[in-house]
Amino acid sequence: MYKEVKPNANWFKVQYWMIDKLANSEGALIPLDKDALTKRPKPQVDYQVILENASRTMIRFKKPEHLIKMVVRLIDEQVKTTHTAVLLYKENKNAFVLIDSKGEEGVKIPVNFIRMTFDNPLIKIFNTRKNYILSDTGTLNYTELKTLLLNKDAFKKFPDLHEMVELAIKQMDLLKADVCIPCYYKKNLIGVLVLGAKLSKQKFTRQEIGFFMTLANDAAMAIANAQLIQDLHERVEEVKDLYLREHKIFVHTAIALATAIDARDPYTHGHTERVTRYCLAIAEELEDIPEAKAYNNFRETLHLAALLHDVGKIGCPDCVLNKTTKLTKKDIEKIREHPSIGAAILTPIKELGDIAKEIRYHQERYDGKGYPDGIKGTEIPLIARIIAVCDAFDAMTTDRPYRSKKSLEETLDEINHNSGTQFDPIVVSAFLLACEKGKVVSNNKIRNKVL
Amino acid sequence: MIKLLVVDDEADVCDFVKKFFEDRNYTVYVAHDGEEALRSVKNRKPNIVLLDIRMKRMDGIETLKRIKELDKEVVVIMVTAVEDKDKMEEALSLGAKDYITKPLVLEDLERTVIERSKIFNDKN
Repeated sequence: MYKEVKPNANWFKVQYWMIDKLANSEGALIPLDKDALTKRPKPQVDYQVILENASRTMIRFKKPEHLIKMVVRLIDEQVKTTHTAVLLYKENKNAFVLIDSKGEEGVKIPVNFIRMTFDNPLIKIFNTRKNYILSDTGTLNYTELKTLLLNKDAFKKFPDLHEMVELAIKQMDLLKADVCIPCYYKKNLIGVLVLGAKLSKQKFTRQEIGFFMTLANDAAMAIANAQLIQDLHERVEEVKDLYLREHKIFVHTAIALATAIDARDPYTHGHTERVTRYCLAIAEELEDIPEAKAYNNFRETLHLAALLHDVGKIGCPDCVLNKTTKLTKKDIEKIREHPSIGAAILTPIKELGDIAKEIRYHQERYDGKGYPDGIKGTEIPLIARIIAVCDAFDAMTTDRPYRSKKSLEETLDEINHNSGTQFDPIVVSAFLLACEKGKVVSNNKIRNKVL
Repeated sequence: MIKLLVVDDEADVCDFVKKFFEDRNYTVYVAHDGEEALRSVKNRKPNIVLLDIRMKRMDGIETLKRIKELDKEVVVIMVTAVEDKDKMEEALSLGAKDYITKPLVLEDLERTVIERSKIFNDKN
């Protein structure tokens, strides 16, 4: 196989001899266009400008197919050929598939009609970049290959190489290709550009091939980037979906747990749900204060903390929770354990670390007279201070075994009255504001009362 | 000359395959749907039919059945997609001689048709 060909000094000599010969022959492979440099002051087409414009345009394409169409169109505009085709590597087909083409009727190869596999000689040659078949521009040139084949002596030592050239010629015959240009991305062949003969019947100039080569490789880069971006978008969406799904399960678990706790105590039925609703209503008023912004996700943390604030009641005996008579000192002690039990339950769960703290302190008072630790002011985390207000509001507005509920007016009065002692004044004003806006209880009476 | 009929509802494919085999010294007829293919089989008496399995109106399988009713001898080569594996087997059981999978490798197209042409060359 051609792969086994090792360069040696003799072969280089042969090659140089051939290049020299070919360059000086009539209708040379790639004309070493010496005349063009001296006689013609400027090229007819300013490929540099076209390339600059093209690469600027390429950045805007997000879909590889659109980009390919642009490249094919651009080539068609600049150099009229019998046909042009682009094959792009498709992972699912493990082959290069023709994805766009232009050209004369019958010569134009239909889109998606052909593929080239890795055993295709052209693909093999392009994949082994260091070989003697490619022209010095790195492309395959039909005329050049034909001329190469004429030098039978050169191949005596390399019969495999001869065979490879013949196979390449056969391929280019099948494709009616004059020039085949590889597109690489990060050293991998990702596409092949196939060009038919020029309609003018002239040979492709070195400058033109350079132009196609640059265009192809800019396109390869843009395609790879577009694919990368597309993959990334898909991945982000996947992760988002996964997160949302997991998060939903998580929140639902928290809700289930909260409901289970509520269910044990007939008098606090629906308590957690209501407290959570009040908390989220206040959240809207407090979202922009620095303390709220210091949380990673304030709303989320508040939502979960509110749902789980009474989780520690799992440790309270039923006889205490369901007691209809006055609570004894011992009962009260038992009930007062619930914030620390709750925190202890949640602490081992890594994702709930922040919430455990809020739950531990939701029975603390602003003036430091609360429990379990007796901390005060902003030592108590904001969310705990919010839950404290909402928890009290709900307790006062519902019947309890040991007392009946207060009216809305009385409740709001009492909360207002305890602002700065039991409750954080900022939270109380946010709560009253939320009430005023009808976000806590949709009741016009509240609005009138607060105003 | 060997007569080849190309049946495909994509005009581009018909044009390309026609030119491809004309360059290889075949007489090529083209049909863009099943009905047209049947008329062509009746009137032109092709030796080989290249028949696309996926076509609107009358699909490749139905067309194959009816072609075979008209002419038992004609050699039918199906052009299929990878996804059509079941249909491919059905086609072979209905008398198709061979198949090529799209997107196809050009040499496969050339080789398959040329191989299947050999019997006619011998006759001629």
